[in-house]
Amino acid sequence: MFEIGLTHYVLVSIVLVAAGVVTLLIKRNAIGILIGVELILNAAGVNFVAFNHFAHGGVDGLMFAVFIVVLAAAEAAVALAIFLNFYNNFSSIDVEKADGMRG
Amino acid sequence: MDESTRNLILWLTVIVLLAPLVSSMLITVLTRRIMFQAAGWFATLVMGGVFICAVVALLQWMGANATGPVVGSLPWIPIPGTEAKWLYLGVVYDSLTAAMLVMVTGVSALVHLYSIGYMHGDDRYNRFFAYLSLFSFSMLGIVVANSIIMLFVFWELVGLTSYLLIGFWFERRGPQLACKKAFVMNRIGDAGFLIGFGILFYQLGGKVLLPAVTGASSDLNMFEAILAVIEADGHSITNPPAWLTAAGIGLFFGAIGKSAQFPLHTWLPDAMEGPTPVSSIVHSATMVAAGVYLTARIYPILTPEAHLFIAIIGLITLVMAACMALVMTDIKRVLAYSTLSQLGYMILGLGVGAWTFALFHLITHAFFKCCLFQCSGSVIHAMHHEQDMRHYGGLWKKMPFTGTCYLICTLAIAGASIPWTALGLSGFYSKDGIIAGAFNYGSVMEQAGWWGSLFWIGPVVIAFLTPFYMARSFALTFLGKPRDEHRYDHAHEAPWTMVVPQVVLAAMAIISGFFLWKGLIVAAEPSAADGIPIQAAAAIEAKHDGHYGYGLHMTHAVLLHGLAWIIAIGAGLLLYVPGFKYSSKIAAIPGVNLLYTWAHNKFYFDALYDVFTVGLGKTIAYIARGIDTFVVDGLVNLTAWLGRWVAFGTGSFDNRVVDGAVNGAASVTQRGGQLLRGAHGGRIRGYVLLLFASSAVAMLAVVIVIVANLLQ
Repeated sequence: MFEIGLTHYVLVSIVLVAAGVVTLLIKRNAIGILIGVELILNAAGVNFVAFNHFAHGGVDGLMFAVFIVVLAAAEAAVALAIFLNFYNNFSSIDVEKADGMRG
Repeated sequence: MDESTRNLILWLTVIVLLAPLVSSMLITVLTRRIMFQAAGWFATLVMGGVFICAVVALLQWMGANATGPVVGSLPWIPIPGTEAKWLYLGVVYDSLTAAMLVMVTGVSALVHLYSIGYMHGDDRYNRFFAYLSLFSFSMLGIVVANSIIMLFVFWELVGLTSYLLIGFWFERRGPQLACKKAFVMNRIGDAGFLIGFGILFYQLGGKVLLPAVTGASSDLNMFEAILAVIEADGHSITNPPAWLTAAGIGLFFGAIGKSAQFPLHTWLPDAMEGPTPVSSIVHSATMVAAGVYLTARIYPILTPEAHLFIAIIGLITLVMAACMALVMTDIKRVLAYSTLSQLGYMILGLGVGAWTFALFHLITHAFFKCCLFQCSGSVIHAMHHEQDMRHYGGLWKKMPFTGTCYLICTLAIAGASIPWTALGLSGFYSKDGIIAGAFNYGSVMEQAGWWGSLFWIGPVVIAFLTPFYMARSFALTFLGKPRDEHRYDHAHEAPWTMVVPQVVLAAMAIISGFFLWKGLIVAAEPSAADGIPIQAAAAIEAKHDGHYGYGLHMTHAVLLHGLAWIIAIGAGLLLYVPGFKYSSKIAAIPGVNLLYTWAHNKFYFDALYDVFTVGLGKTIAYIARGIDTFVVDGLVNLTAWLGRWVAFGTGSFDNRVVDGAVNGAASVTQRGGQLLRGAHGGRIRGYVLLLFASSAVAMLAVVIVIVANLLQ
């Protein structure tokens, strides 16, 4: 077995970011987009924890990871409230329907 | 125990814990097409395999003849500045864990098998099995958790998955409300749990986060280790620091929520809105068992005052729920209140110091209650989703297997035994021990006041009521004349996937009283201290051993029990085989009818909570609205009035001077806007693409600059 190092964690987070961006790009369902955003946030969290462990030490990075989790929860609450209103207005959560601000 | 056995047990425990999670995730991730029909059998086979692992671990454990727990921990999160240094993630395996793992996996596997038949044809068939496996995973996590934090994580997971399962048919209003209610009631209990944990953490620091102690003093589990810390400070459990009682009661509040004890019991009967397999697993192996298990685990740090509190809560639940079970006509609600009442027995047993028998009752009860719910599910299935017993009757002829299983489990929950001997079904042994414990505790408490007698009068009276209401439900469902000819004509025995689990569970209800407990649960009992309930525990064991040793030497409890079930079942059958002919007359007698209405409306607890919480909220809202209307709006209107007059002044200035400038700027902006409007497609993916493409370009530019610098 090889030693798992910083590179591997960064690779995981790159994969997470890529998955998140692709999700954002290809999903029309608002919930799917929210999931994509969560993936990107968690990639940042993985980076924080990994760099904390390999480069920094202490718990500062872990604290930031916890903040990211809390932030993600708050963001999900706000986003879901928006989607609920969205649904009330459009009877669907297809984001393509929300083109009222098109120039 | 040698190293290899130790490792084998640890690995088996880890497999038992993680396999249901993996199966749940596979069912979720694999698409509907691949995993829709296969989900049921897949999840059932995984649970079956897990059950075999649990049994192998149990056999290894019994063969090894160990005393202390086997612990495997991994450091998880660093906590600088405390004694613990790390928060650990891991498993702990001792006798109680061994028994619980076998019971939970066994019952869960049978419920999975049963669900294949029951959920057949449901639109979300695969999702149901994903949830069910996740539910089992959460419960197994509670059982093997090695620190309070990990226990709490799984505790919340059980709350979440029960929410998902109770609200499985979320298209309907009933399940929506029921799952929300279960979740909120559990949160209230969890707040108590967190307070209890907070007190412990504040007083003892990071020591409470240490996992079960391994190595030299390997016979300590989590809370025994905490007690050792307290004793090192010069206290003991009979001379406790004042905060210890509060901490114990706080942690017990978590159990009140999960095990649906008074006053947070109202969610459990409402949880009947979920599919019947969910009821059968919630009411036996998971969820409500978690609360009793937690109370059993925190037992070492419970002070005598905390014991009294627990015994009182158990007693109230026990009596109240049995009275409600007497008058319900919905078959699942009768069983739900009967579960509440039996949980009251267990909590009372823990309160009075009958630790072994409370947990023994937890395990025997899991088997027969799970079977009863599955039988009720088969009946509901056969009667086209009619749950009201007023439409049942005479189903024995149509459903002989289900009827027999229901009868066996009715006898088991009644504590049936051959009078004057010590031979009975499983419920007899466990309930008998709890009643013996209650006698003991009552006789100690009688010295404190007359109310001490209630601790044994309550369980003895309910030992009569339990067989009575169970006989009532049996007679109304399976005996007498059919009261709904149309539904009766279409009734049929359930498919074999539903009958087999019932038969296995009924068999367990007969035989599980003879084994499982002597070696296992007794060995797990917390080491004795000098508290009143703990003295009582020693005395119970002496009485019980004497009783089984001499065969015919009876305790009061056995004497009552041997006759109680015959009298009560006889009375129940006599009264209810003819349907509601006689009982409705009894219920109409003045005085009795008052009690009847009272019990029928669940003692108005829901209304009470409605008045106190919803009413209070509404009152506050009215006051807030008043403040809003008069004070805030007044201020706002005043500012508006002032603003208006200022605006008149500025308005004229605005029209002449500013507008000229603005119009000029606007025309410039408008042209700019015309140029840029193409970029605003209104499509989120366009924006996202632009964002990430531009950041990619920026990064590329940085890389090019760096490379250029390097090349120079």
